[in-house]
Amino acid sequence: MKYIITIVSFIGIALLILLAKAISNSDLISSDSFRVLLGLNILFICSLIVLIGFQIFRLLQSVKKEITGSRLTLRLVISFALMGVVPVLIVYLVSVNFLTKSIESWFDVKVESALEGGLTLGQKTIDILMKDIELKGKSIAYSISNVDPEQRNSLLTDLREKFRIQDAVIFDQNSIIIEVSSEKSNLIPPIPNINDLERGGRGFFGKIEEKDGEQIFLKTFTPILTKNVNSKTLILQLTQPIPPAIANLALSVESVYGEYQQLTYSRNSLKIIYILTLTLVLLLALLSSVSASFVISRRFSSPLAMLADATRQISKGNYKKIISKQGKDEIGVLISSFNSMTSQLEDATNNSEKDRERLEVARTFLETILAHLTTGVIVLDGGKIIRLNNIAAAKIFKSKSTNMSNMPMSGIVDKYLLFKPMYAFVESYIDSGKKNKKEESHEFKLNKENEQEITIMVQITPIKENKDKSYVLVIDDISEVTQAQRHRAWGEIARRLAHEIKNPLTPIQLSAERIQHKFKNKLNEEDSEILERSTNTIVNQVNALKIMVNEFAEYARPPKIQKDTVQIDKLIDEVVALYEIEKIIKVKKDKKIPIIFADENKLRQVIINLLENSQDALKEIKNKKIMIFIKNKGDEIELILEDNGIGIPDIIIGRIFEPYITSKKTGTGLGLAIVHKIIEEHEGKITIDRIKNSGTRVTINLKIREK
Amino acid sequence: MRYFRSISLIVLVVLLPLILMNEYSLPDGKILIKDIEISKKDNINIYKMPDYSLNFHQELNFNYLIVNAINKGIPIVFKVVLRAAETNEIWPTKVIKKEIRYYQIEYKALRKIYKIVDINGKTYEYLNILDAFEKLSKVEGFRFTIANNKKYELWLNVSLDKKKLPKPLQVNYFDSTWNMSSEKKIHKLGKLN
Repeated sequence: MKYIITIVSFIGIALLILLAKAISNSDLISSDSFRVLLGLNILFICSLIVLIGFQIFRLLQSVKKEITGSRLTLRLVISFALMGVVPVLIVYLVSVNFLTKSIESWFDVKVESALEGGLTLGQKTIDILMKDIELKGKSIAYSISNVDPEQRNSLLTDLREKFRIQDAVIFDQNSIIIEVSSEKSNLIPPIPNINDLERGGRGFFGKIEEKDGEQIFLKTFTPILTKNVNSKTLILQLTQPIPPAIANLALSVESVYGEYQQLTYSRNSLKIIYILTLTLVLLLALLSSVSASFVISRRFSSPLAMLADATRQISKGNYKKIISKQGKDEIGVLISSFNSMTSQLEDATNNSEKDRERLEVARTFLETILAHLTTGVIVLDGGKIIRLNNIAAAKIFKSKSTNMSNMPMSGIVDKYLLFKPMYAFVESYIDSGKKNKKEESHEFKLNKENEQEITIMVQITPIKENKDKSYVLVIDDISEVTQAQRHRAWGEIARRLAHEIKNPLTPIQLSAERIQHKFKNKLNEEDSEILERSTNTIVNQVNALKIMVNEFAEYARPPKIQKDTVQIDKLIDEVVALYEIEKIIKVKKDKKIPIIFADENKLRQVIINLLENSQDALKEIKNKKIMIFIKNKGDEIELILEDNGIGIPDIIIGRIFEPYITSKKTGTGLGLAIVHKIIEEHEGKITIDRIKNSGTRVTINLKIREK
Repeated sequence: MRYFRSISLIVLVVLLPLILMNEYSLPDGKILIKDIEISKKDNINIYKMPDYSLNFHQELNFNYLIVNAINKGIPIVFKVVLRAAETNEIWPTKVIKKEIRYYQIEYKALRKIYKIVDINGKTYEYLNILDAFEKLSKVEGFRFTIANNKKYELWLNVSLDKKKLPKPLQVNYFDSTWNMSSEKKIHKLGKLN
């Protein structure tokens, strides 16, 4: 746009110079070129107005759209335009006023009066000369009228010479020359206008004639009145040039007067032309200054706009924005400094971003670890508000949401009374007021209804974070550890019991049988019967003790299994075949059951124990039913054994795999403990649930593994 | 609003002089051409085509400003343009001849006479302006040469020749005082004998 404005400005100036030349050059002014020039100037100015209008429109649009730098450009344009417009307008008004007054001063009344006076003087002089010739003519005519025709010519010549007349010619009414007398001997007088002769015949008639614009002649016609009434009327024509000095002066005054009058008449037009030219100059100057103000304003505001834009970009995080160099002035230095600052900022931001990423990775790493920890971790602030927790902690506290952040711990604990002791421990630790608190831990047993007892270890550690203190609460479910410890303890007891009890049982049984054998026949019938009954009781109880001790031994034996390939479905079929008499067992299995690697005998014992338990539970049930499902779960096999028996009481279901926990009136309470142990030895999983209405469901998952 | 005011000011500065100039403008004067007479002259020119003479009358409705200008000594020149166009029923008319003549009136202040120079350069002097105007109303002896074997349209136009006015009056395009012109007078001619 700036190139367009520059080119247009140059064209305008060129046109204006041509117009000014045209006004000063009288040859050009009358030609059509002046009209063309004027038209071109007006057209140019109109195009300049359109151009500026377009520029203004664009600028206002930019301001409306809040484009960076547009407001500054607008302000600069207004300022620069005013700086140009005001002085030019003043000069214009002064010039117009000066011009108008100057033109008016040309037509001063005194000049006009002087010119009119000069002209009148000339006219009067001519009138006087005319009067003089009139008198002379009348005198000559009177003298001639009284002489004979033969003497007329000589008299005419005498009188002409006497009165110093240049030419004297006598005509009749038909324009026929009668007599001629002239200073020039060879004069052939021109025939006068018939009208002039007619007027001259009626009386004196004088006229002024001009020749070649240089000479003025006075020509008079005077009738010659003769006494002879019948004779023709003769007319005397006298021609007398005005003295050249007077004639030249008079003609000069006439010429100047004419030019002055023309000028006077043209003064309005002159004013209009000059005012028009001045107006064109004004408009050109104004529009050029406004156009220039756009270019200059943009040049000034452009680097600042770039700076503002770059600042905005940087505030949005784009540090790549580099502004091109803008010379060596203050703005150039500013831009250079800005670029340097941007570069430093980018480096700092990149470093910060890298740190943040590292921190994020560390945080994610920590979160991943926390999320996958089975240990619950909670970070509390001094007000016992949870600031961080992992999923395990949420599970422990039965929270619906995995994120318990910003929740007061008391609120969570209040829902479950069993957590109260733990909260009391935490509360007392935090509120203790000790300065250098050390790590503390405490073990809590949580007895949940219908569930196995849980043992948790709570460890609280203070961490100092700025001024505030926070506490890390590590909650570890050590139920399995304690259960394993208990099992080990039970195993040890069982082993010792088996060892200590089993040895004396055989001598006791043999001694009892020997007593019975030796004294049975020696006693009377009644005593013999008592002895037999007593020894039988001893033998039976010893046998029962043996069975119990064997079971103890089985429970307490060291984990020793002999794994081999086992087709579990066939194994189940074999065991079920033993119970086919009652036909209450139904087996449902998937089409393809893979071979597992396990100890077949131990698994048989598991199935038998479970079926025995089910049969015991079904003793008082009419519609007895046992369902066995064998499912192929891909990497493991799932066995489900369901019965519709009386089920396991709620009170013991949580501890059903512990020794001596049984709902049966008879039995050692070691069956399910042994089952649990065997499945554990196979690295499997066993769970027992109550079926809604009645019955029990045992689910065993065994992994399919190769040798 | 500020910009609107500025623009309005500029427009006012531009237009005001033009408006004021037009205030001084007067309605155009009119010239009415009538009584066209064409007569053939006996002589045959070097192109072996006959000469013709055109006479016509005209009514000149002088504006008082023009009369005033004449009395101030400004010479007023009239231009007579004669165009001869061939007429044809099929083809558009074609101008085959264009002749221009001038006549003028000028006041001579020293001698107090109105000097008229007619289209043939002949000078006439009158003491009275009305007599001068009377003379101006008769244009006689406009000689032209044209072949006489076709039908013609003669287009006659008389106008005040602004190019002969003083320079400042010529370039004052806003002054319509000097726009004195006749309408194009069409005179149809058959074959000239």
